[in-house]
Amino acid sequence: MELMPLVRIVDDDVSFLKAIARLLRGAGFHVKTFASATDFLADMEPDLPGCVLVDLQMPGLSGLELQEALAKAGHPLPVIFLSGHGDVSTTVHAMRGGAEDFLTKLAPKKDLIESVKRAVARDEGERTQRNRQKALRAPFATLTPREVEVLEHVVQGKLNKQIAYDLGIHERTVKLHRTAITTKLGVQSTAELMRLWIAVRGSET
Amino acid sequence: MSWVTIIWSMEAAICLTLAGIHYLVWLNARKMFAHLLFSFTAVGAAGVAVCELLMLRSESVEQYGTVLWWTQLPLWVLIVSITWFTRFHLRAGRPWLAWTVTVMRTLTLVFNFFATPNINFKVITGLHHNPFLGERISTPEGIAHPLDFVAKLSSLLLVVFLVNAFTEMWRRSELQRDIFLAGSMIFFVTIPTVETVLVQRGVIQSPYLISFAFMGVVLAMAYALSLDVLRASQLVVQLQASEAGLRESEERMTLAAEAGNLGIWVNDLVRQEIWATLKWRELFGFSASETIDRGRILQCIHPEDRARVDQTLSKVIARGGSYESEFRLLLSDGKIRWIASSGRVEFNGNGRPSLLRGVSVDVTQRHLAEFELQQQRAELAHFSRVSMLGELSGSLAHELSQPLGAILRNTEAAELFLEESSPDLEELRAILADIRKDDQRAGAVIDRMRSMMKRRAVEKSMLDLNVLAADVISFVRRDADLRRVQLALEPASSLPPMRGDRIQLQQVLLNLLLNAMDAVSDSSPDRRRVAVRVQYVDSRVEVVVSDSGSGIPADKLAHVFEPFFTSKQSGMGLGLPISRTIIEAHGGSIRAQNDPDGGATFFFSLPVVQEGNAS
Repeated sequence: MELMPLVRIVDDDVSFLKAIARLLRGAGFHVKTFASATDFLADMEPDLPGCVLVDLQMPGLSGLELQEALAKAGHPLPVIFLSGHGDVSTTVHAMRGGAEDFLTKLAPKKDLIESVKRAVARDEGERTQRNRQKALRAPFATLTPREVEVLEHVVQGKLNKQIAYDLGIHERTVKLHRTAITTKLGVQSTAELMRLWIAVRGSET
Repeated sequence: MSWVTIIWSMEAAICLTLAGIHYLVWLNARKMFAHLLFSFTAVGAAGVAVCELLMLRSESVEQYGTVLWWTQLPLWVLIVSITWFTRFHLRAGRPWLAWTVTVMRTLTLVFNFFATPNINFKVITGLHHNPFLGERISTPEGIAHPLDFVAKLSSLLLVVFLVNAFTEMWRRSELQRDIFLAGSMIFFVTIPTVETVLVQRGVIQSPYLISFAFMGVVLAMAYALSLDVLRASQLVVQLQASEAGLRESEERMTLAAEAGNLGIWVNDLVRQEIWATLKWRELFGFSASETIDRGRILQCIHPEDRARVDQTLSKVIARGGSYESEFRLLLSDGKIRWIASSGRVEFNGNGRPSLLRGVSVDVTQRHLAEFELQQQRAELAHFSRVSMLGELSGSLAHELSQPLGAILRNTEAAELFLEESSPDLEELRAILADIRKDDQRAGAVIDRMRSMMKRRAVEKSMLDLNVLAADVISFVRRDADLRRVQLALEPASSLPPMRGDRIQLQQVLLNLLLNAMDAVSDSSPDRRRVAVRVQYVDSRVEVVVSDSGSGIPADKLAHVFEPFFTSKQSGMGLGLPISRTIIEAHGGSIRAQNDPDGGATFFFSLPVVQEGNAS
């Protein structure tokens, strides 16, 4: 089931919050507003896709601190910073922390909406990617520890005889393990197994 | 020439001389009535002396009788003038007694006129010829006249009148000299009164010697009068000296007034006249001969100061005391002249204000210098305000961008809604209301910034420091929030108003608050506290700003108000010196201290406006 992306907005200024929520709703987004970073962290619904727009300067937890807290919690929502004025050191700091974008409060509507769209799209892409990885990786979880050992040797391009020697088992046993691996992972050939391995590994690095 | 003739003639001559002298004195000073009365007395005494001589030397009873008859005339003059001399000169004795003496003596004279040979004798039977000073003199013998008692009574009344005058003067403890005079008069008047009685009764065989006694009276009177003349002449000398002194001091004062450029004026409040020195006229632009009145003076004063000066003058005239005032004159060429004026009201005997004396001086130069200094101070204060705004620019930009951002987003949202086929009008109305609200919010921020940024002259008005402190707190609230500083305000429960420049005093408090927030920035967020307290202590408003920082190093505490002394990397070191200048220009004081539990506290106190002195 396809989930609607949710745009979360965090700002201590109620009036601004109301205005920007109006605009983004008008532009067709699902929007949820928070008056402080603490409120947001308590009720952010991390499973819903989307992004966060956050005021850089807030009493209590600031925008940058919210970004850090989000990263620590392992919820990789894209963060767009809104600031009254662009000062270089905070911008750099925010971008290093993986900010999706950095906008002034008076940025043009086009920039704002594009930025939100981009963030939502990225989150979507990342979530799809993450889901695909998850799907790819799922069969690996069914392998026994010995089968994993055999697989690691196989993807290094070793022959059955070498593997048997390295693991101190019979060559026939190696063959049996290889059959179990290909069956469990649903691949037809060693070449196909290699491609699958690279896809899973590649996404991890 | 016989001794008797010589002595009696000399006596008469002395009396006449004295009479002449004092008559001349009276001619020169008609108000000195005593001298005229005295000349009468002396002439009377001289007459009595001449008559007495003639009696002593008379050879027949008829001759003696005639001379004695004539003697009543000088005696009348003598006694009446002595009486009224006592009344007028010594201002003593009962007036009715004086009148009785006068009437009795006049009666004596009238009766004598019709008596033969005179009022003293009904008939003179013979003359005794006795030796006296080696000569043969005559003394009468005869029967006393039945009306003789009138003459005796009048003499006795004179004695009574003089005794009455004497006791009155004694009670009034008058000048010893005058009491002595009165005493001598009693003494010398009593002698002949007693003697005539004794001679007539034949108790003593002696000629009438009353003229000598009267000469005693004359001499005593002459002595007293001449002392008066002497004193008068001394007074004249003294008066001349003091007049010269007065002229001298007047000249000195004029010189001093001219040197000090002082204009002096006197307002006669009874006659409504104003007199002023040339210098004063020059200051106010009047010519030397123009008549001046209060209305014309007020007309010279700058319209903005006129009512105030008028009130000050009216108040001081009504209540008395003195005043000091500074005001501007608007000269005919359109220029301004500053005048400092002070004056005092003087009262007459009935407690009514009679005179208003004043001094005015041109203080334009001082005002120009003060104005220049004030401008420099204002310039510096402005500079300091702008640099403080720089410190606050982050939070100010944020405060401004919030409403502006909200307006922008609302506008964009409205545009989006309008693109729909059937826009939600309710929503659009709500958007417009929000836009207006945010616009006003942005306007307020801009106003606040502009009031701090503006170059402006000092502008004093009535202030409530509780309100002022609350305004400044709201100004930095955002900045404090961002810096995680807890700001607390403790206003005074009741506060009299004070007079001052709102922006400059806000600036002082703002400066102290920013410093305090800087002081706590190194502490952990939960210990960043800044407190502002307004209190009313010893008739002064005190504002106290304390922080929970680490305090001011002891060796630097004494120097914090010195220019270019700063602990901040970005500071100019001008904030506190400018604050001090501002506070002192308001008649207040500012100080700093370290708190026992760490942290620093800054105090500034300002005088309040006393009741009834709100001008």
